[in-house]
Amino acid sequence: MSERGEGAGRVDDAQLAVRAAGGDRDAFGRLVERWAPQARRVARAVLHDPDDADDAAQDGFLSALLKLERYDPGRPFGPWLMRIVANAATDRRRRRAVRRAEPLDSRLPGGSRPDTAAEQRVLGERLRAALAELPERQRLAVALFDGEGYSHADVAAILGIPEGTARSDVFNARRRLRVLLEDWREPR
Amino acid sequence: MTTPSPFDHERDPVLGEALRQALDPGGPDAFVARVSAAAGFGQPVYWDVLAGWARPGIAAAVAAAMAAGFLVGRIVSGPPSLDEALVPSEAMVLESQGPPDAGVVFAVFDR
Repeated sequence: MSERGEGAGRVDDAQLAVRAAGGDRDAFGRLVERWAPQARRVARAVLHDPDDADDAAQDGFLSALLKLERYDPGRPFGPWLMRIVANAATDRRRRRAVRRAEPLDSRLPGGSRPDTAAEQRVLGERLRAALAELPERQRLAVALFDGEGYSHADVAAILGIPEGTARSDVFNARRRLRVLLEDWREPR
Repeated sequence: MTTPSPFDHERDPVLGEALRQALDPGGPDAFVARVSAAAGFGQPVYWDVLAGWARPGIAAAVAAAMAAGFLVGRIVSGPPSLDEALVPSEAMVLESQGPPDAGVVFAVFDR
């Protein structure tokens, strides 16, 4: 598991959630601090515009705050929260006319392994553009599985789809990304 | 990025790191502050102060309104002028069938 909301080893998420549900501001603040990076990345996997993504992530946190009493402390907090955030992002995307991505070729300069900050930035732009070419559910699936370290079962629970479909979405997303980023070379 | 397989249960660490970097918007502190503020947790000082002022403020406003109402009432319903006071007495004297009652005539001067 690569990264689960940067929360491992500290005060249990479930304890914080229970305290936050009881009106503990500090507990909610700690949950936000802990899970904000992941929530923002997940929202951005749906919404290309970073400001829209942050709005959606905020919507997700506020929605989660209202639903905290319904959270089962016996289950992992991350998938529960990410499902809310993903839904918030999807809702926002549906409400707004999302800018259509430009043709991929015009935005993807050829490149090799990014060694410098500038190259990292270029890779980020290329990857975001490549993600924009994927169906939304595949974007989320690969971002949750490879990016955030969730299992296929967790991805399925977050997206509300069968596990086999989640597995297929991850596979198809990876395959498509390979095509779109085929001139990018891995470090050796 | 490694060659994908539909049977692959392993994550691709290179792709994962690239995804996290590509999707990371940065500026986490500002976002956390923004969410806390939106949740009503970000400005406890203002709200606590206002809440602390609420009851004394309302009580003071009620007291001020009552005092103002009392003063206005006193001004509006002040003692009648001599002319106003005499008019009904004159009418009573002139319209009376019997002899004038000295008590009525001099009643206004008793005020």
